[in-house]
Amino acid sequence: MMVWRTPGYWKACVMDRPLPTRSERFLLWVDAIGGYWICLGDEVVLGQPLSSSTDVPILADLSARHARIRRDGEGYLIEALRDVYVDGRRVPQVALLSDGNRIQLGSNVRLVYRRPHALSATARLDFASHHRTQPSVDAILLMADACVLGPSPHSHVVCRDWPHEVVIYRCENQLYCRTRGRIEVDGVPHKDRAMIGLDSRIVGEHFAMSLERI
Amino acid sequence: MNLLVATVEPNGEKLERDGPVGTAGDRSPAIPAGGSRFTYPSGAQPLAGFTIKRGIGHGGFGEVYYAVSDAGKEVALKLIRRNLDVELRGIRHCLNLKHPNLLSIFDIRQDGQGDNWVVMEFVTGERLEDVITAHPQGLPVDQALAWFHGIAAGVACLHDHGVVHRDLKPGNIFSDEGIVKIGDYGLSKFISCSRRSGHTESVGTVHYMAPEIANGRYGKEIDIYALGVILYEMLTGRVPFEGESVGEVLMKHLTTPPDVSMLQEPFRSVIARAMEKDPARRFRSVGEMMAALPRPVRPEVHAGPLPSFPGRGTAPTMPGAAPGAPDAGVGQWLTDEPILRGLRGFFGRLVHAWNTSYNTPAKVALLAGGLALVLFFGWGLVPFAAALLLLYACYCMVRAIFQMISASRQSRTAPPPPLPTGMGVPPAQPGSATPAAEPWERGHDRRERPRKPSPHDAAVSALVLKPARERVAELLGSMLGGSLVALAMTVVMVLVSSFRGVDPQPEQAAWLAVVGLLGAWVVLVPSKIWEGTRGDPMLRRFVLMVIGLGLGAAASGLASLLCVELPYDPRLSAGPHFRMPASFYGPGGQPYLMAFMAVFGTLFLVIRWWRQSDPLRPVRLSVWSMISTVILAWMIAELWHFPAPWLMMPACTMSVSIQLSSPWIDPKRLHGQKS
Repeated sequence: MMVWRTPGYWKACVMDRPLPTRSERFLLWVDAIGGYWICLGDEVVLGQPLSSSTDVPILADLSARHARIRRDGEGYLIEALRDVYVDGRRVPQVALLSDGNRIQLGSNVRLVYRRPHALSATARLDFASHHRTQPSVDAILLMADACVLGPSPHSHVVCRDWPHEVVIYRCENQLYCRTRGRIEVDGVPHKDRAMIGLDSRIVGEHFAMSLERI
Repeated sequence: MNLLVATVEPNGEKLERDGPVGTAGDRSPAIPAGGSRFTYPSGAQPLAGFTIKRGIGHGGFGEVYYAVSDAGKEVALKLIRRNLDVELRGIRHCLNLKHPNLLSIFDIRQDGQGDNWVVMEFVTGERLEDVITAHPQGLPVDQALAWFHGIAAGVACLHDHGVVHRDLKPGNIFSDEGIVKIGDYGLSKFISCSRRSGHTESVGTVHYMAPEIANGRYGKEIDIYALGVILYEMLTGRVPFEGESVGEVLMKHLTTPPDVSMLQEPFRSVIARAMEKDPARRFRSVGEMMAALPRPVRPEVHAGPLPSFPGRGTAPTMPGAAPGAPDAGVGQWLTDEPILRGLRGFFGRLVHAWNTSYNTPAKVALLAGGLALVLFFGWGLVPFAAALLLLYACYCMVRAIFQMISASRQSRTAPPPPLPTGMGVPPAQPGSATPAAEPWERGHDRRERPRKPSPHDAAVSALVLKPARERVAELLGSMLGGSLVALAMTVVMVLVSSFRGVDPQPEQAAWLAVVGLLGAWVVLVPSKIWEGTRGDPMLRRFVLMVIGLGLGAAASGLASLLCVELPYDPRLSAGPHFRMPASFYGPGGQPYLMAFMAVFGTLFLVIRWWRQSDPLRPVRLSVWSMISTVILAWMIAELWHFPAPWLMMPACTMSVSIQLSSPWIDPKRLHGQKS
């Protein structure tokens, strides 16, 4: 359920803050599952790939900076830099997103905002239209504290046949991978938990995935 | 998972258990076993010019990867470790197949280690297997038909080029932006071999295996069998033969007939025939199988061209004629006629404005005003209108003659139409008069912007597929409701007549009630049969006219039986009177059988009654339909010099009864449900 507040409230929240520097992003290629565009920053700009300030470039008829999504504590706000609709209603300036909201950018690009995991502030944007990023991925993950890959439907990345979860999480500005059993990161074996980089290859007993810095 | 590609993905769980477990000391595969083990990690470039991003799946033949070329082109790379010439020949055979429902194969390349890679189209979108998983009770019929139509078109193209797929299954079928894509053709030879050796990789595909594969027969009948299994699975959500082991499933394929009892016709008989144990008793071709199935609402959304279907009686034979459209002769000619087209457009806009822009009081006021104008001043216009009609008839005749002459001249001088290029020529189908006309025309139609099936289309599809029992139940309900409405309307008519100073006798009221009731019934029955289909309006009018003649006879018989008098009301007559034959009216103006038959026959010929009982009509009770019916009835009565009230009142009763008693789907609810 979206909460509509007076423009002044949101302006105080968002507009007066200085633009942050571009956040770090990486691609997560999970073998036999899919590809994911993961943004680590609190704020991401969606738009055409033309601008270097676009965090999520979508190959579509959009402006270079079309919309901004910002994590605000446990919630996410979408700020319309151009025409943006949430569940069919035009976003005047800013709107609060909630699970299942259908976001439309411009006239054609449609995304679905998901917050699958109750205990994690990480959100997922699924493509509902045929538009994709370059290279194309299955979804965009706005990673807060952790990103859960596993068989549960509440995982951020659902991997039906995996016996248990794999969690990529942040701790003191560093990325880690945690799972049950042995994992191998860039050829070095670990037990249960390992520090990973933005170019790591992670191989577990039942899975294999690679990170690729964007 | 949204990004998918053509691959054989065996039962992952099974593979994980049975596959060799790598050791920690091994190079790239390292720890993972089974389904997620890929030789090449992200970033590897085993084939010059392509960078692997991730593994997608495994098959008996090797691994499939999602890769990006140096320039950024996304492709699927299929690694083939077994370089038997016969297998590569199979792929090369398919290298240049072009069909929208077949996944494109771009090239076959060899890497530095001598391994062969197939470079293929990378598709985004759903896999049929996942769609079926998401619908455990089966897909909606129109959705299943849309998928099936696309699959059949792709398989028909393969068969047309002498290729048997041999491994058709939902895991190999994708939807890419609404277009069905079939993958993994041309690679199936040794997949089938591995099945026969009982290798675990066949577990995922044994459900679609025709019985004769056990004897090493690989004709196109095995694809027909697999199509039957896939259709069954789409409609029910499960495969026809399930079992604990591969052997059990295979034994069922060999011996047990599929249980199709829960399916409706025509699916029941189509699946039963496609899954016959004896290949000779199955459908001879995919086209024949499709001919036995209803068409999807919007086939072009999912499917490319399909070779023409023999035995499909309703298939249009004129290029450009839509399926189910009016007969290409008169109907096509009439829609092409510019004056008529303009008038139809004008009236269409008028009706639309009428239905949307005015509320009921405004409509009543407008109608009353219009009627008064016509009654007081309109009679001077009748000769003028008649002259216009005569002029138009002459114009139509001249135009028709001119067109016939020019058509015959063209057919003498024009070269035969060129065969379509780029997609091959489908085999001539026995029993098909114009083998290639329809599919290629539909192929060209693909240039039109594809439209997803609208709620209205889905509703039409549901109406067409409505089982006979449901139809009969609805019809009986409508007839019962219609009779009640007819009785109520008779009371209203009697009251209206009383206000006009004509007190109807009881026998007159009884005649009115019975004729109105019978009229509503005889319209409801054919309308229910025609429900959801378009049909030829001229044919329908003719059928209704015959029914109207019968109703006229019944009305006449009833009038004699009840000794009812139907007096002529001079107040409702103003037109020029023609002399009627003596067999029509008695000396006192009492109409005879011929007059009854003439007026009711004309009434049923002129009015498109079936539209008033269409469940998809814009409003349940259209005042406009009722008024226009009454006005037309009056005009017909005037034409035949029949006592006008005694045709107008039954017509009004019929119109209201039919509209109120026929099922109606609220357009708002229809669109609301879907969105």
